Amino acid sequence: MARIACLLVPHLPLAAICRADPALAGTPLIVAEHAASHARVLAAARPARAQGIRPGQHTVAQARAIAARLVVRTRDPEAERCALSALVDVAASLAQRLELGPEGAIFLDTAGTAHLTATEAGLASALLARAAHVGLDARVGIASTMRAAFLVARYGDGCTIVPAGTEQGFLAPFPLACLAPSPQLATTLERWGIRRLGDLAQLPLAEVTVRLGAEGAALVRAARGEDDRPFAPSLHEPATVEESVALEWSVETLEPLLFVLRGLIERALARLAFGSLGCARLALGLGLADGGRDERIVPLAAPTREARTLLGCLRVALEARPPRAAITKAALTLFPEAIRPLQLGLFSPPGPVPERLATTLARLGVLCGEGRLGTPAVLDTHRPAAEAVTPFLMPRGTPRAAPAAEDAAPGSCCRLVARAFRPPKPLDVFAERDIPAFVRGPGFGGRVVEAAGPWRLSTEWWSEAPLARDYWDLELSDGGLYRCYRDLVSGAWFADGVYD
Amino acid sequence: MSRAAALLDRLGHPGSIRLGTASAARAERLPTGLASLDALLGGGLLRGQVSEIAGRHSAGRTALACRVAATTTARGEMVAWVDPDNALDPAMAAAAGVYLDHTLWVRPRRPADALRAAELLLETGGFALVVLDLAESTRSARASCLVRSAAGTWTRLARAAQRTGSTLLVVGSSRQAGVTAAFGLELGPHRTRWSGGRGRPLLLEGITVRITVARSRTGAQGRTLVVHHAACA
Repeated sequence: MARIACLLVPHLPLAAICRADPALAGTPLIVAEHAASHARVLAAARPARAQGIRPGQHTVAQARAIAARLVVRTRDPEAERCALSALVDVAASLAQRLELGPEGAIFLDTAGTAHLTATEAGLASALLARAAHVGLDARVGIASTMRAAFLVARYGDGCTIVPAGTEQGFLAPFPLACLAPSPQLATTLERWGIRRLGDLAQLPLAEVTVRLGAEGAALVRAARGEDDRPFAPSLHEPATVEESVALEWSVETLEPLLFVLRGLIERALARLAFGSLGCARLALGLGLADGGRDERIVPLAAPTREARTLLGCLRVALEARPPRAAITKAALTLFPEAIRPLQLGLFSPPGPVPERLATTLARLGVLCGEGRLGTPAVLDTHRPAAEAVTPFLMPRGTPRAAPAAEDAAPGSCCRLVARAFRPPKPLDVFAERDIPAFVRGPGFGGRVVEAAGPWRLSTEWWSEAPLARDYWDLELSDGGLYRCYRDLVSGAWFADGVYD
Repeated sequence: MSRAAALLDRLGHPGSIRLGTASAARAERLPTGLASLDALLGGGLLRGQVSEIAGRHSAGRTALACRVAATTTARGEMVAWVDPDNALDPAMAAAAGVYLDHTLWVRPRRPADALRAAELLLETGGFALVVLDLAESTRSARASCLVRSAAGTWTRLARAAQRTGSTLLVVGSSRQAGVTAAFGLELGPHRTRWSGGRGRPLLLEGITVRITVARSRTGAQGRTLVVHHAACA
């Protein structure tokens, strides 16, 4: 027989706001649909309920009259979405087959979790502990049906396990209001003297169907703990981890903003840790006081789960390009990726620590500017001194082949390389019988001692910037050995490198 | 292994240790890839120290730096190339044996930023070699003076290198690091070799350069060496 666990957070709007701002925990907090006085109270924290405030019955104004020191917050759908997503991550960390249910409940198939938790009690404890780790005070119920699991999770003592086959008896003492019947049906059942699920479950289904219709029959089946449809799980593969917070007051300086971002990072990293994943890059979206948005993406050298590293990268990015207005909202998106295990070899040298490297690359990126940092790449082109960089990633292992062999003696030998002039330096060239005889350029020049060439280079004629040049290697009297060319289109001379 | 064994032997007989009698610990070396230069320097550049290559245009400074980088990357170690002049040609560096996927190319826009970038890389650690290419930046007397007068910069760089064990190799038109450098190599007058004979050249074959050890903390100061640089085929 299948066993279903139900994980849910009661009063999700309230829990989401407390998760985003942990300082609100323990305060007489209420959540309303909007800030107006006539708005209905959607949820109230325990201290507020203890003072007599009833969600759904009182308005904000009435609640304020009951409790003077009330903390009122409006509903934050973004925070609720993040909280629910975190709850899904918690469930997915222990079970593969999940189904999202009503009221933010998540159903898990307990089959296949035995290798992680030996017993159902262990599974329930693990779910509660992990939910607490991401800042959510959750409840768990485990039963043979989704309906029973949901009811015991919602109205039980927080962690309830119903033995298989005893669902009906277990649910019998629950009040009829647990099933939320329609007012008309509730009145009828009240008139019949039915106040508990046990009373309803004992009624003959056919008779109830005749008298109360399909709705009544469904209610009887629910009271017996039976499902009206089978469990329909799906695989959960998160593409990103998002966390956001709406700030009560706009933030104008960097340090308070980083304080807020630290909380977001820690919550997001706690979720990544469930899957043993790291953050490969992060996107920061800031809501501005002038109504605009500030979006930026911070790449990282290697996936990491170090909050300090991520915060350092964010600090560098924000210092380099501060937002144009005060911040009213912050949303952080982490792109998960498996952390590459760093296997140190006995004979291979250790490289930079990935976390430190990520911070350094972020700082260097700010120092150098975009596209001026990375691994040099050789382009598939005939264009001399073509430059390109690719994102720097930590290579694995040692190169397979040895470098170009040196010749041993006398003194050994190097491969001559050219330093590129970017952009090429314009030259004044005086030629004799089409052979350069004197060259004058910015910072260098002199009589041509030796000249080799020309070698014609004609390429990319199909593009908008075709290349047609006659190249010369010129040794000047100033001691320099330059790579020069005459542009065949304009007839102008340039030096695009010096052998060094 | 022999060092460890010697240390254990001495620890086993503490009474035999006498102050001032111990020989200096043998410093770790970063081979340059040129057997004769390594022999001259006593095994290569000193790890965790600053070394310099100085010379004029076409003296073979970049080729020598590429050679050291190629030898370093061939062992699987990481190299950072700080290049404020944007002068590195990736294709030529690869042809010279540098493994580009073990190389981080950093191109600051100003020499002052290049010094800061080098310091960041040295502080990060894990880069066996950090090449600071100031060849163009130190070419004019004014720019050279600016780099040299950065108060305390070279001391900071040397300390950062020492802390993390990375070698800083400075390439310039003249020596910049002063007394903080463990080695200062000056690349002297070169002779260009052309195929086809003098007066009727056909192809650049290479250059021959004289390297002088202008500064050395481990001896061999003033000794010279001739190195051939072969042009690409």
